[in-house]
Amino acid sequence: MFINYEHGNHVYNLTIERRDSFFFIIYDNTEYKVQAEEVKPGHLKIRLGDKVIKSVITKGDKEKYVFVDGNVFKVKNVELTASKKKKGKEQGSLDSPISGTIVKVMVKKDDPVKKGDVLLVIEAMKMEYLIRAPSDGTVKKVHFKEKDQIEIGQRTVDLSEP
Amino acid sequence: MEEIIMDVIESTIETESKEYKENVVHYGKLVHDLKEKIALVSKGGGDDKIRLHKERGKMLARERIEALLDPDTPFMEFNHLAAFNMFENKAPCAGIITGIGIVHGREVVIVANDATVTGGTYYPITVKKHLRAQEIATENNLPCIYLVDSGGAFLPMQDEVFPDREHFGRIFYNQARMSSLSIPQIAVVMGSCTAGGAYVPAMSDETVIVKGTGTIFLGGPPLVKAATGEEVSSEDLGGADVHCRESGVSDHYAHNDEEALRFARNIVENLNRPQKTYLDVKEPREPAYDIKEIYGIIPKDPRRPFDVHEIIARIVDASEFHEFKELYGPTLVCGFARIMGYPVGILANNGVLFSESALKGTHFIEMAAQRKIPLVFLQNITGFMVGRTYEAGGIAKDGAKMVTAVTCARVPKFTVIIGGSFGAGNYGMCGRAYEPRQLWMWPNARISVMGGEQAANVLLTVKKDQLWRKGKELTKEEEKAITAPILKKYEVEGNPYYSTARIWDDGVIDPVDTRLVLGLGISAALNAPIPEWKPGVFRM
Repeated sequence: MFINYEHGNHVYNLTIERRDSFFFIIYDNTEYKVQAEEVKPGHLKIRLGDKVIKSVITKGDKEKYVFVDGNVFKVKNVELTASKKKKGKEQGSLDSPISGTIVKVMVKKDDPVKKGDVLLVIEAMKMEYLIRAPSDGTVKKVHFKEKDQIEIGQRTVDLSEP
Repeated sequence: MEEIIMDVIESTIETESKEYKENVVHYGKLVHDLKEKIALVSKGGGDDKIRLHKERGKMLARERIEALLDPDTPFMEFNHLAAFNMFENKAPCAGIITGIGIVHGREVVIVANDATVTGGTYYPITVKKHLRAQEIATENNLPCIYLVDSGGAFLPMQDEVFPDREHFGRIFYNQARMSSLSIPQIAVVMGSCTAGGAYVPAMSDETVIVKGTGTIFLGGPPLVKAATGEEVSSEDLGGADVHCRESGVSDHYAHNDEEALRFARNIVENLNRPQKTYLDVKEPREPAYDIKEIYGIIPKDPRRPFDVHEIIARIVDASEFHEFKELYGPTLVCGFARIMGYPVGILANNGVLFSESALKGTHFIEMAAQRKIPLVFLQNITGFMVGRTYEAGGIAKDGAKMVTAVTCARVPKFTVIIGGSFGAGNYGMCGRAYEPRQLWMWPNARISVMGGEQAANVLLTVKKDQLWRKGKELTKEEEKAITAPILKKYEVEGNPYYSTARIWDDGVIDPVDTRLVLGLGISAALNAPIPEWKPGVFRM
């Protein structure tokens, strides 16, 4: 495919082709044989002859930025590897996030539950914390009943695999 | 190399879920309600008063501000809903419009009386709003332009307007202080400037007056007649000709409002303002997610927690967030990011504050203060954790460390209350008392010393203990008679409109505007140097 990238005020046009584990890049009538590996999302290790180049790619508004050896290149109209993303939060733990009072228990032993279902509600410090099923399964044991006190980190419900 | 890019927050919001959609509908109503209130008070004294004002050849306060500012530049208005539901709603916007605008490319603070509201006279909240604008000017080193059109103090409430330290006299104290700090004071007299009001132009560095409508005098014609028997017209007593040709109280003679505002622009053009403070500014980039999705993220039920990463992702440039101590004290999210290209350190609540979260916050504030990076507090805090385990663990001293750090960090600080603001959490998260350069509230916010239910229960327990010592008990009805009024009081007073009416904040904003107001706030803050970090004693 053809791509162009911009650095400074100059636009570079090149063709790139993938054969086996190599990329063949033609620029200015010269062909370069390149090996590229994504070590982790957004991080590339590139081998050009006996040179190893590490680079990091990040996504801007309409363009992407490639960081190599302290330089930044702005790249336009190119599909590159996805930028590094970070998870917003860890999904559903069955342990209480806080010390408080159980205000509602929605499940009992042997109930089947779906991922994301609310199992019980804990009230503490003016807030209601929902304990949700981290995966589909069946309720094996409910450790608390309504109005019980619970400590931070205590297991609320045991689930079995479906 | 690898540290150069920041992590992009990955959103886990499901915009197709029932919960999300219900939240959007609910929040839409809150925002609609906010916009209705703003539209209502923006009319000032109402149609009749507006007609009369215009018949005198005068521009409305908002028209004056627009003509003064550079075309197509933003005006960041403060305390738009001041005095809302106070004084029988007779003082919309408290009869004064204040804000930061741009004149000849530089930020200035504007204070404009609205003469359609009780003749532009000063209610207690009007004084507070005027003083707050001057405080913003002082902190950010911004020239002040006063568009004066006021009858002075609102006489029926003189005891709440005149005598105290933070009352009318403070306006002129501030003018003299600011002038001594090389913060230019400019007055444009576009209506009456009576009694105390006369000192606004007289105390200014440079003053413009409009012929025919502008008057400056210590005592108006009725007072002069009462005092000495002399009969004199307003124009002869204190008009443009008197003050520009005879008294020297005013410097520039304008024939109408438009010309006076042009003169004011010329004055600003020649101020020779110092360069702004350096910050490592980059090209602004929009967040990777739609900022409007915040409507669906804030739960309809204020008792439900939400993940603040989702909010940060919609406020910061490109949703990039370099989180600090992600795995330690996770109920306080700290990290560096950019807002409108400006570097910021963000502290955002993600649950109750524990000792660890407070220590992490303290460490983070220290870093930002050393590096001179502005701080943004996203406040949604029900308080510091209570209970024997936590008291014994020293949560009071750890909270105190955070409060010390927040206080002593003299970098520009900005606070947005995005949920609850309760108890000592308000202090640690840079509440009003900790002098954030600006403090904004979202329409879902709540603020009080503790939750209404908790307050009611505390008071009930105290009462029960008293009676128990006398061998008495309360019936259910008696209990309710004690708790119900407390609950009602906390509900009314915790409301963001109750807060904003009293200027406990700088305004209630649509969450969609959060990036903009923070960006403008930081830009304005760069007019002042950032002082060195000099902390107090941390209790260890």
